[in-house]
Amino acid sequence: MTKNKELKEISVVLAGNPNSGKTSLFNGLVGRHLKVGNWAGVTIEKYEGFIEYEGYKIKIVDLPGTYSLTAYSPEEVITRNYIIEENPDVIVNVLDGTNLERNLYLTTQLMELEVNSVIALNMYDEVKEQKIEIDFKQLEKLLGSHIIPTNSIKKEGFKSLLHHITRVYTGALSVPKNKLSFSEEVEKNVERLTEIIKGDQTLANKYHPRWLAIKLLESDQLTYTSTKERAIWLNIEKELLDMIPKYEDMFDSSPSMTIAEDRHSFVRGAVKETVQYPKEIKKTLTDYIDSVLINRLLGLPIFLALMWLIFQFTFKLSEAPMGWIETFFGFLGEAAATIIAPGLLQSVIVDGIIAGVGGVLVFLPSILLLFLFLSFLEGTGYMARAAFVVDKVLHKVGLHGKSFIPMITGFGCSVPAFMSCRTLKSKADRITTMMIIPFMSCGAKLPVYILLIGAFFPVAYAGNILFAVYLFGIIVAILSAKILKTGLFKGESEPFVMELPPYRMPTLKAVLIQMWIKAYMYIKKAGTIVLLASVVIWFAGNFPASREIDKTYADKAHTVQFNQILDDEQKESQINEFENIRLSKQLEYSYAGRMGKFIEPIIRPIGFDWRIGISLVAGLAAKEVVVATMGTIYSLGGEEDEGSSDLAASLRNDKKYDIATALSLMIFVLLYIPCLAATVVFHKEAGAWKWTSIYIAYSMTVAWVLSFAVYNISKLFLV
Amino acid sequence: MKMTELKAGDKAEIISIKARGEVATRLIDMGLVKGTRFKLIRKAPLGDPIEIMLRGFFLSLRLNEAENISVEKIGHVGDGKPMGGGRRGR
Repeated sequence: MTKNKELKEISVVLAGNPNSGKTSLFNGLVGRHLKVGNWAGVTIEKYEGFIEYEGYKIKIVDLPGTYSLTAYSPEEVITRNYIIEENPDVIVNVLDGTNLERNLYLTTQLMELEVNSVIALNMYDEVKEQKIEIDFKQLEKLLGSHIIPTNSIKKEGFKSLLHHITRVYTGALSVPKNKLSFSEEVEKNVERLTEIIKGDQTLANKYHPRWLAIKLLESDQLTYTSTKERAIWLNIEKELLDMIPKYEDMFDSSPSMTIAEDRHSFVRGAVKETVQYPKEIKKTLTDYIDSVLINRLLGLPIFLALMWLIFQFTFKLSEAPMGWIETFFGFLGEAAATIIAPGLLQSVIVDGIIAGVGGVLVFLPSILLLFLFLSFLEGTGYMARAAFVVDKVLHKVGLHGKSFIPMITGFGCSVPAFMSCRTLKSKADRITTMMIIPFMSCGAKLPVYILLIGAFFPVAYAGNILFAVYLFGIIVAILSAKILKTGLFKGESEPFVMELPPYRMPTLKAVLIQMWIKAYMYIKKAGTIVLLASVVIWFAGNFPASREIDKTYADKAHTVQFNQILDDEQKESQINEFENIRLSKQLEYSYAGRMGKFIEPIIRPIGFDWRIGISLVAGLAAKEVVVATMGTIYSLGGEEDEGSSDLAASLRNDKKYDIATALSLMIFVLLYIPCLAATVVFHKEAGAWKWTSIYIAYSMTVAWVLSFAVYNISKLFLV
Repeated sequence: MKMTELKAGDKAEIISIKARGEVATRLIDMGLVKGTRFKLIRKAPLGDPIEIMLRGFFLSLRLNEAENISVEKIGHVGDGKPMGGGRRGR
């Protein structure tokens, strides 16, 4: 339906290989009329946009980049289903003009669909630069489609492309029949199946009969499923059960293999006939760069150095803006506190909403920076090389080379780490990587370690203990990957058959769009839910409030106020102390406090009492809060940080705590579920409650079991 | 011989592919079919995966995927043996 009645709408999709410049062509075409969402059920971004041209409103959907239309990867399923089910008016097949032989394989599969199509021969500037000569006329005849040379960066050929799209749509431009055919025996079988399919009018109307026949002969699972419900399936199945084994006997190869080989030979023939490559063989820039970047000796050190630099830059550069955001929300809180009268409303707005939203937005600078760097590296083509370099190590524990980036990112913050798992195409690899990311100790857990190490260990050992905690997390992560991969996703793994694309300088716009998409999704999705949850946690920490406690300490403060013996300074310090004790008692009385006491039986075996319990519950909001909450419980006021010697001393002098408790608590904080923001992002990225519940249950169990082990072992040897 | 037995710089032709299921589909989709000529560019720093050049582009695959591919060695880099295909295919 068109919104504007005067404009006729044409629906167009862009289909093409990854790295064919499809996305930059899309960006160039639609300009700012861009809408980004997700394809239903998967974490693959869906780009839509429109452009007005000669009285038409051309709606363009950028399909995920694929090499083929088999139904294995989610990208392929999306692309296929969209083309088949949504029946777009025109398909624009985007090709990387410098690598026609690989790109045309997908074209052959689109040709089988017999739909209106136009070919955009992209990166035409590079084609000319490399002195590759293409006989467009002849290639058009072979492929049965009009070919328009384009250059998405300089926006060359766009007018012509739009012109062709509209003319093909109206039928003003005739499209020649393509010259693709298969070997004799395959053709015979295809024809026989096509005839049978034509017997079912509904089926033949829905799918192109010849295409359906080819797919059935290829033993394509998706087509089987969609054809099985038809009555005619019995006839089809009988034919297939007859012809496939016969074929295999005759040719010692399956029809699907022959079909693929025929497509490749067609492409090879077409390229040979119409494309002239320059005579001399020149080493390309990619050859030179790769001979250094993924060199056998230098490959790993360069990779590690690059990662180290990204992390240094991300976390150092984001420190200042994070400070500004904190200051801003601090200021906002104070401003709100002066405007709104003290009381519940003030408390919920200042301590609940402003603190909660601020606590989430404070991660924004690191997300922006990290994704700026990662999008840039992805755009250049280096990411595929990074996976190539480290794959062996990760493959050992059942992961994929691409899992490395998210894992490393986890040391900074789990939130961007979860989001960077999107580059992992297989669900098994992605979910497993996401489950182990929280074991990579994030930045917010550091204050807890520093406090506990400072309180219970001699300074000389401090560095080693801290290192050991981080190492412990890595080991748990590796073992977990192994367990999860064999337990949950037995045998499922993405094959590592991956293109190493030529190096290209990505456009700034493309990098910024990628970065912004990640940031926007974080703000939108995490923001709303975290906001709600912050209010819940605030509520648990403040309700119910005991009037008696308030009254007792108000009375005490009152008595001090009129005490004649004390000077002003002593009075103030005593009143402060009463206020801190009051806060501590109120916290104990609140739902959070009761929760701490309620879970005490569960956490007693690992060496914790209800006070640690409250801190751990509060730590669900954010890990730094564990320290602040302990400060409150020890009546030191809420403003404690890890450098506080008062809190460290209180902990040390507490007879209930010892080194075993400290170790156990560090392990527990390291392993139990990360903060709320991270958990929400996990849920969004994993996409199902099933994974979120497994993830919570798994990390809680691992945390408890290992803390229990560490507590009891160190009780035996250290205390 | 198997693809895994080739050394960096070797040129070879694919004789047959034994893989099944998704791995087979992936290999075929990326142009690894009977008769395809390719060059082994390099092995990763830790020896696995490997990088090959075929049909004018670069592809990486793991040794356990390459295991399933039987090849015949036809030459070594620099000998001018034709390989067909793209810009560096000769």
